[in-house]
Amino acid sequence: MKSQLTIESQNSPELLERLLRVVRHRGFNVQTLQAETTDNEQNLHLSLTVYSEREISLLTKQLEKIFGVTKVSLLAQQAEIKASA
Amino acid sequence: MNGANFVVQALKQHNISQVFGYPGGAIMPLYDALYDGGVDHLLCRHEQGAVMAAIGYARSTGNVGVCIATSGPGATNLITGLADAMMDSVPVVAITGQVASHLIGTDAFQEIDVLGLSLACTKHSFMVQNAEQLGPIIEQAFELAASGRPGPVLIDIPKDIQLGDAVNFASICKAPITEKVDQEAINKALAMISDAQKPLLYVGGGVGMAKAITPLRQFINTTKIPSVCTLKGIGAIEHDSDYFLGMVGMHGSKASNFAIQECDLLIAIGARFDDRVTGKLDEFAPHAKVIHLDIDAAEVDKLRTVELSMTEDLKHILPLLEVEISIEDWQQKALTMKVDFANRYDHPGEAIFAPALLRQLAQMQPRDTVICTDVGQHQMWVAQHMFVDRPENHISSSGLGTMGFGIPAAVGAKVARPDDMVIAVSGDGSFMMNVQELGTIKRKKLPVKILLIDNQRLGMVRQWQKLFFDGRYSETILTDNPDFVTLASAFDIPGETISTKSQIQDALTRLLESEGAYLLHVSISEEENVWPLVPPGAANDKMMESLQ
Ligand SMILES: Cc1ncc(C[n+]2csc(CCOP(=O)(O)OP(=O)(O)O)c2C)c(N)n1
Repeated sequence: MKSQLTIESQNSPELLERLLRVVRHRGFNVQTLQAETTDNEQNLHLSLTVYSEREISLLTKQLEKIFGVTKVSLLAQQAEIKASA
Repeated sequence: MNGANFVVQALKQHNISQVFGYPGGAIMPLYDALYDGGVDHLLCRHEQGAVMAAIGYARSTGNVGVCIATSGPGATNLITGLADAMMDSVPVVAITGQVASHLIGTDAFQEIDVLGLSLACTKHSFMVQNAEQLGPIIEQAFELAASGRPGPVLIDIPKDIQLGDAVNFASICKAPITEKVDQEAINKALAMISDAQKPLLYVGGGVGMAKAITPLRQFINTTKIPSVCTLKGIGAIEHDSDYFLGMVGMHGSKASNFAIQECDLLIAIGARFDDRVTGKLDEFAPHAKVIHLDIDAAEVDKLRTVELSMTEDLKHILPLLEVEISIEDWQQKALTMKVDFANRYDHPGEAIFAPALLRQLAQMQPRDTVICTDVGQHQMWVAQHMFVDRPENHISSSGLGTMGFGIPAAVGAKVARPDDMVIAVSGDGSFMMNVQELGTIKRKKLPVKILLIDNQRLGMVRQWQKLFFDGRYSETILTDNPDFVTLASAFDIPGETISTKSQIQDALTRLLESEGAYLLHVSISEEENVWPLVPPGAANDKMMESLQ
């Protein structure tokens, strides 16, 4: 399954790394990623698509726990085309 | 005031009177501030010992434990302890020195990316980038370590910030958030409990962490629902509670494992369906609906999909779930299983049977004794055969299973609770993993009692080799162990060795009555195994109970 997510958070130097570590460790692969700081570098906005055999809620709940993350939204999901897995 | 003095003041503001650590270059300013700063510092003899002492301190009191290390090797030596605290949700704040800001990223002497290393083994970590951040970061670190699901938090402080001027920080007193309990969920839970014929409580470490022991016991008193616990849940329920069946899982009691497989409603309280508990997951509690109470929403539906979950504070939920129910047949079944499958202590021959020895120790030890264990067979025997009436009195590395945990954890517990007896139960393998902490015991003249159960093997691994690897004992034979009593005596710790049943009573008395630290070295047969055992990949009711 492929899932499209957005993550809103307060920015810190290691935040991107922190988020991506959780994505990998919980069993998800990143297909696309766009990261952008906003509000004078105060916040970080992330759009990403990930794929995994696992339930996406296993990831979103872990992301929501990260200190500084203010919102995780699941925008869309679609069955993954196997070839890219 | 410089940054380092500011840190010491902030510790005091957070009611921290005791810290554990080891000095070095990048943390020297903080050690200078500690010199006469009014916070007691205990020098451990390895940073791993310091973080594990902080864990012992935290787990024996429920308060935050603090440890301190220098940059580079000091900080990397903390990692195992941080991982241990992470897995067992222990509130620890670790403070590390870092090389000066302008040297970060230049491969400076003793520079390592501690923030990067910490990501996988802390609840959160901070690197202080300027003096203004120091106050708010310390405040957040203590808040994060202790709130919600507790865990370790690391603060990395570059040397220039320790040395530079501090910036005043007025802490903002946040009003406590009063959470609303979801009444609909409560009603649903009450209905599920009332409908159940065979409800069972599965109690984990979260109950103790939430300081919800009293509401839990009250809930059990009213509902009289049979219960089991996890390794970290030991002590939450009184050991002699009528329908309490003991620990569940791989080395759980037969009664617990059978009850789990038979129940029709499983109420998981502060527990997380760890694989050592569930055995084969899709055959765990196969007939049960599940209610999951846990403050960490990420634990809900992680391994077991549940019918109902609540993530509010257990102290608020449990009183609302009290309901009288009639489940006599099931209660009777629990009582029968308790009797039929009770532990047996008859054992042929003169050699010491560790389960019986531990049972006897539990009977002889004073009230409120803290038992700290290492990892292996002896750890499981403690869990199975000793009895504990407070989670703070059973300190065992559960989630990470960290050998070398017992001695430093006992150091921390003894410092935290000087008036209570503290006993470290260790194995000959584990003991050697943080044996340098005998130096800490000596330094502080800490009256820590050590019961060393010596089978001249890495016993738990040997057991698995026997059972699952055709008895090919690869690197688990420790017949070349040092003379442990002589070793202890080098640290001014008296001790003795025993090897027969007839010596037990007197030796345990000497252990308990010795004025200072004491080592009771107990020689046992290498052939002893931990039973029952749910083999890897099997359902919990498929227990092995002997070599046959
Ligand atoms: C740091 C660490 N390394 C390795 C292991 C794997 N391990 C688990 S139990 C065990 C043997 C422990 O031996 P000992 O302390 O003598 O206790 P026993 O099982 O004999 O009671 C080992 C090696 C571990 N849990 N922790």
